[in-house]
Amino acid sequence: MNAIVALCHFCELHGPRTLFCTEVLHSPLPQGASSGDISGQNEQAEEEEGGIQMSSRIRSHSPAEGASADSSSPGPKKSDMCEGCRSLAGGHPGYVSHDKETSIKYVSHQHPNHPQLFSIVRQACVRSLSCEVCPGREGPIFFGDEQHGFVFSHTFFIKDSLARGFQRWYSIITIMMDRIYLINSWPFLLGKIRGIIDELQGKALKVFEAEQFGCPQRAQRMNTAFTPFLHQRNGNAARSLTSLTNDENLWACLHTSFAWLLKACGSRLTEKLLEGAPTEDTLVQMEKLADLKEESEGWDGSEEEEKPSSQPDVVEGQELSKSSPETSLVPDCNSWNVAHRRLSVFRSLRHMRQVLGASAFRMLAWHVLMGNQVIWKAQDVDLVQSAFDVLRTMLPIGCVRIIPYSEQYEEAYRCNFLGLGPHVQIPPHILASEFAVLVEVRAASRSSLYPTLFDDEQSLNKYEFLVTSGSPVAADRVGPTILNKIEAALTNQNLSVDVVDQCLVCLKEEWMNKVKVLFKFTKVDSRPKEDTQKLLSILGAAEEDNVKLLKFWMTGLSKTYKSHLMSTVRSPTSSECRN
Amino acid sequence: MAPTLLQKLFNKRGGGAAAPHGRAPGEGPAFSWSSSELDLNEIRLIVYQDCERRGRQVLFDSKAVRKIDEAVVQKMADEASVKTSAKNCQASNGNHSVSSHSPSVSCMQNIKEQIPKYQYTRPASDVNMLGEMMFGSVAMSYKGSTLKIHYIRSPPQLMISKVFSARVGSFSGSNNNLQDSFECINQDPSLGKLSSHQNGLGTCRSGSNLGVFQLCSSKLLQGVSEGGPLRLIRSASFFAAHSTPVDMPSRGQNEDRDSGIARSASLSSLLVTPFPSPSSSSSSSSSYQRRWLRSQTTSLENGIVPRWSTEEMFSMADESCSSNPAMVRRKKIAISIIFSLPEKEEAQRNFQDFFFSHFPLFESHMNKLKYAIEKAMISCRKIAESSQRVQVYISRVMDALGEFRVTIWNLYSVPRIAEPVWLNMMSSTLEKNQLCQRFLKEFTFLIEQINKNQFFAALLTAVLTYHLAWVPTVMPVDHPPIKAFSEKRTSQSVNMLAKSHPYNPLWAQLGDLYGAIGSPVRLTRTVIVGKRKELVQRLLYVLTYFIRCSELQENQLTWSEKAGEGEQVLNGSKITTALEKGEVEESDYVVVTVKNDPALVPPILPPKNDGSKNNSTAEWVREPESAQAVPVSSKEKREAIEKASQTSETSVDCLTGSFCKGAADGKKRTVTDMGILSYHSEESSKLEDVMDTKKKKNQNERKAEKQFSSRSSAVPCPERSGHRTSHLEKVTFQIGSSASPESDLETHRREMEENLKTLIKHPEVIHCASSSTSLTVDASQNQDSVEAAFINKHNVCYAQIPPCEEKESILNQHMESKGTEVNLINSISSEMLLPTDNIETVKLPNMKENRTLCSGNLENYSSDCVEADSAVKQDSSKVGAKDVPYGDSGRKTSFRVEGDIPRNESSDSALGASDEEGDCCIPDEVHHDNISKRLEEFAEVELPLPRSNTISSQCVKNFGRSLLGGYCHTYIPDLVLHGINNDEKLKQCLLADLLHAMHHPVLDEPIAEAVCIIADTDKWNVQVATSQRKMMDSVKLGKDVLVSSQVSSLLQSILQLYKLNVPADFCIMHLEDRLQEMYLKSKMLSEYLRGHTRVHVKELGIVLGIESNDLPLLAAIASTHSPYVAQILL
Repeated sequence: MNAIVALCHFCELHGPRTLFCTEVLHSPLPQGASSGDISGQNEQAEEEEGGIQMSSRIRSHSPAEGASADSSSPGPKKSDMCEGCRSLAGGHPGYVSHDKETSIKYVSHQHPNHPQLFSIVRQACVRSLSCEVCPGREGPIFFGDEQHGFVFSHTFFIKDSLARGFQRWYSIITIMMDRIYLINSWPFLLGKIRGIIDELQGKALKVFEAEQFGCPQRAQRMNTAFTPFLHQRNGNAARSLTSLTNDENLWACLHTSFAWLLKACGSRLTEKLLEGAPTEDTLVQMEKLADLKEESEGWDGSEEEEKPSSQPDVVEGQELSKSSPETSLVPDCNSWNVAHRRLSVFRSLRHMRQVLGASAFRMLAWHVLMGNQVIWKAQDVDLVQSAFDVLRTMLPIGCVRIIPYSEQYEEAYRCNFLGLGPHVQIPPHILASEFAVLVEVRAASRSSLYPTLFDDEQSLNKYEFLVTSGSPVAADRVGPTILNKIEAALTNQNLSVDVVDQCLVCLKEEWMNKVKVLFKFTKVDSRPKEDTQKLLSILGAAEEDNVKLLKFWMTGLSKTYKSHLMSTVRSPTSSECRN
Repeated sequence: MAPTLLQKLFNKRGGGAAAPHGRAPGEGPAFSWSSSELDLNEIRLIVYQDCERRGRQVLFDSKAVRKIDEAVVQKMADEASVKTSAKNCQASNGNHSVSSHSPSVSCMQNIKEQIPKYQYTRPASDVNMLGEMMFGSVAMSYKGSTLKIHYIRSPPQLMISKVFSARVGSFSGSNNNLQDSFECINQDPSLGKLSSHQNGLGTCRSGSNLGVFQLCSSKLLQGVSEGGPLRLIRSASFFAAHSTPVDMPSRGQNEDRDSGIARSASLSSLLVTPFPSPSSSSSSSSSYQRRWLRSQTTSLENGIVPRWSTEEMFSMADESCSSNPAMVRRKKIAISIIFSLPEKEEAQRNFQDFFFSHFPLFESHMNKLKYAIEKAMISCRKIAESSQRVQVYISRVMDALGEFRVTIWNLYSVPRIAEPVWLNMMSSTLEKNQLCQRFLKEFTFLIEQINKNQFFAALLTAVLTYHLAWVPTVMPVDHPPIKAFSEKRTSQSVNMLAKSHPYNPLWAQLGDLYGAIGSPVRLTRTVIVGKRKELVQRLLYVLTYFIRCSELQENQLTWSEKAGEGEQVLNGSKITTALEKGEVEESDYVVVTVKNDPALVPPILPPKNDGSKNNSTAEWVREPESAQAVPVSSKEKREAIEKASQTSETSVDCLTGSFCKGAADGKKRTVTDMGILSYHSEESSKLEDVMDTKKKKNQNERKAEKQFSSRSSAVPCPERSGHRTSHLEKVTFQIGSSASPESDLETHRREMEENLKTLIKHPEVIHCASSSTSLTVDASQNQDSVEAAFINKHNVCYAQIPPCEEKESILNQHMESKGTEVNLINSISSEMLLPTDNIETVKLPNMKENRTLCSGNLENYSSDCVEADSAVKQDSSKVGAKDVPYGDSGRKTSFRVEGDIPRNESSDSALGASDEEGDCCIPDEVHHDNISKRLEEFAEVELPLPRSNTISSQCVKNFGRSLLGGYCHTYIPDLVLHGINNDEKLKQCLLADLLHAMHHPVLDEPIAEAVCIIADTDKWNVQVATSQRKMMDSVKLGKDVLVSSQVSSLLQSILQLYKLNVPADFCIMHLEDRLQEMYLKSKMLSEYLRGHTRVHVKELGIVLGIESNDLPLLAAIASTHSPYVAQILL
């Protein structure tokens, strides 16, 4: 709890005094935010306070110390502070307790060290004991304002056979800036503080009774003989709370009790706050990362071939911990940057579309989205890598299997993105297949073939790109909805790259949500075909291309999600309950 | 649909949450406040005035007001002269026009306006006492308002009072007349009799204490300017008797400057501070940040931060009267409301629970009441005739009080929705499936049946647009633990925050419910109007899924003295556990019965120096968190250190080794080898300039500490981070403490020397990333404590070896790595070797620090050390200090040690050296604030906290359960959600309520706008009323809601899925996915808006799939994560 708890005493000689005070210190910011600001404040505060104040503050930290330790200035200080107004012995450093779990510290001194807090506590103490009126004088009050903090105060008497009226007046106060919290905590604080007070009073009562028994005359004498000199006499007779309760560990005990009170009150209420489920991409990335870890633990040579394809994922996995899902979905920022320097690469989907031309790009993208194998044949490995990095952003991460460069053809089940050297033979049935698309990168025959779109782009001008497929997409074919939206986004130059990225994220999630429903419907519940058709039209995905796309994307669902659906949701079908 | 279903829905326990007689007990599970416990007429209002010169007067006491009997009124009405009636009538009409929006409709009093309705009798006898309590015995000069709560034991009453400074306008001469006429009220009490209507105020005369409206005797008082810190202006006898009552630090004249400090550290700078967030763009970041900000703005650690200046005053003058600040008199007005508590203890506790947990609402209504009183005072002044004036005043105030009473009563006893869907789904896992089915059934029913004019879609659009707390619950998390359940989880980051920086969850929940999490902050309520109760209830029920908030848990912490397993606690709470068969679930419940701990927690004290083994504290010794075991040999050690430094991500690698050894009781040598290195690196607050980013990165606190001790865990183990520094790093390495017989003193000594030598010989090793290091090792006198401190102008570190009574020695070393020079001062207790030379070689700032350090240490130790047994021989204590580079090798470090490195040879004369050392160490009285302070803190005696057990239970006394209302008989302004039969009262009150909500936000933070969504199921329209727009006509309450196509398509697909018999829980998962899509779209929108100042709706539509009717919704969602969106769109 962000509060200060203090024990105050109304000294018959010196008025209201803060006796003992427990503060809470939280660890600084959880993460490295702005050391500058805070240190700046401190510095400012320091400067404003100046040296003289500091020394006086230090003295006030344990005022008696000034009298005893500081030989140069004895006298007046001492008279300001009597046994009754003192808690820790002069020079006592105070107490501290650590709460390891929360890295909160509880510190106790007679006064707070911070000058502002000193005055806050001081004010609260004075108000608690000499301004605010509590009916019956013993009991709880709440008071405060925005500027001086809010105070829950409980006043009480402690028996003292030597005191005027045989009792001394104390209060335990809790100070907070958060008045709502403090007021919310009233019942709690009242109970706990009342408990502490009861025990203190109990101890004091025992002492009092023992003293009365031992020296019954004393009180009477006090009442009669010493009346005129009451002040002086009492001054000498002022007794510390330690002796009133006959508990030499009293202050340590109060420290622990106050610290405990603060801890218990701070954790009195906790929240259960839900946060959203991770996106599919996040889940898949985590899974890949975990697989990789397992793999690297039990590494065997046969995996070697797979290695290159999985490397980008490693990078992603590491990035994942630092970046949001959105940014990590834009894969390989670093390779993007590296590539940027070399220039002969694709920098974004929009860039690729400009380079390839709209129709070639559309064909390529269509194949990518459908899960057909995309083969790039080129000399320049970086170029191919950049092409894959750009193209993959259209797909959920789970659907991406890349072999960036190979000296031989790899089957489609191994990869949907395959980079090949210029001379690698591709089996004819693949070339004729409608489930594959081939991009051949050749040296440009005419340098003017592609107009220069950007100044820094000459390097791509030296290539020409030939996109072919066994069955070219009919020009009038509507194509998957998502493709049309992607194209629209790429066409619109008003949209920045960042917006396009966000747009891709949205589109992918939107379609993955459809995929989830379809998966649930067909794979988990095994519903009949007619129902599935209905479902698809509900999802707005009844067209052939969309269905194909959904089916391909289903392969990209995370294992986590699938197993979750399989295991938990399968339970009693609600249709039974409903009908 | 069958009413039985509804009954099930709303009254699970057969109670009456939604039943016609909504106030039946047992509304919700474990949440019932019986209204019978609260007697409305026992809510008392007292208005008091405290004027510096004229003392205190009661301006109003509802207990002294008696309603005149109906018959009497009638009689009087008959008798009254036509003239008077007419006048009265005029007057009261006039009043109403003055403040048309403070409704004088009192449900309680249905009385004719024309005739005096109230009789003012003598205030109750307790009123003086109450006045004392309100104002206190000593008045404060603080200008703002002061809030107080008193508990009066017998008869049990709860009093809340607010004391305001009065703002008195500058009046013209007519004031005197007014004043006189009011004063005539205050005449002879014996005349207090209802004599005639003509002199009208007969009734009022009786109260000798009825106050005087001193509307202004405008004396110039200085004062406004001194509004700052609290001052005691009226000297009580106590202060008179003692001339120096306040033992504050001498800062009297600096008070203004102090407040200046406070302001400089105020919210504005905090707001600039980037929020720490669990991860870069974490999910639930907005919730997290809101909570973090709350904990910071209400923090006490760095002094207080006045959060928002509420210059709340009591206005006694018309706004039209320019209130000249110089004219403000020292006059205070106190408004006090007293609740009589039921005698029965349980009933009393119930009301108190309600009161304290819902205090913000009480306060808000109190403010409303205050406003009405202000209006009453101001407006009645305009009435010429004094009798009427008072009558008007009284009746106006009574009306306002009546309103207040009814509101409180309503709030207390309103029917609540027994099973708010979202909260129940979150808390009870057992019936989740049923819950889902139930909800979906209702949900789809509404989609299908009542979507006339897109009514339901419009309602849901509005709810999603304004009650924004659903957004954090769909923001995707970015680090799910692998193989995690793909469902929503509780936010770990928020959980951690709650632990390390507690904030008020009740407050957080209230903000969530009102949807006040966007930017600008808007506070929203939803009211469903309709004659068809059943339908309204269905809507309410379904909306409780979309109006979200966190669920609260109540934790009871107990401590037990012993940590031992199964050991019975001696003094602490006794916990008995029993296994009981669960009623619904398969599993058993463990029933835990707790007997309360004693309130005083016995400390676990450091052991006294009695030579006996003291194990009592051993169990509290922390387990090493990350101790690096290092081989004994110094070489290896060094390697290990270096290795550690390399591996360590933190930029701080600094090591100091020290060995302490213990001999047991002078006879037997124990094999206690302990090495403790605790290492602090702190960034001093002083430098913002020389921060290298690398350092910043690593500013998480790292801390490890290990203590090995066979016997003296009692040694205080000070470990203290300067709490004013923003970052600190602490790493503790544990060095070579294998309990080997080899480890005798000599070996250690040699090792240490070697270490030291290496240190000196190889400055490059010591090189610290930053440029300078200064090392101070000093042993203070009384005991063999050794301190090593590395100080530089940037960082301060210190190490200390506390007294080792039993020959164990510990070295705690705290070091900081950034100094240009290193001072190595090793002083053995007897020989004070704090060479001034060394200090002088240091740059000036360092010198200061060093000296302060020393003096600080001395101070701190003097007490501790007394306990040290002087007879104990301290064989040796050695210090090696080593500084390992942490990477930034750009700068050269000079390592300078003057003179010999002193050896710790003997400590026999430890005590004898104190004087000398004291002299040495307090050279110039140069106290450096930070350092000396830190040292003071550093030296504190550590007392472990007892182990705690937490017993958690669901908390039902929270807003989530109490502000989601059912079908109520009348409009209730506080409820986040409720249904009403007709909008009559709503129309009357709404605008005033919204304005009030905006000006006196219950959230304890400023809000920009208060909004109310009104869905009328009779007219099938959904409107949004706001505090920012006036209502144009009487028909419309607000603006019609644009139906978002996102929302309608969502509704349609859920309905279709449901019809396809997709299981309910999956439908809900899909619903959540779709909500997440909206969130992602809002991200896209905010990204789009980043570069644009104008929105091209076409672009949004074609490309992004955002239609113009989606814009308000998506912009609102975006405002929770990208505040700039509001500036562009709203």
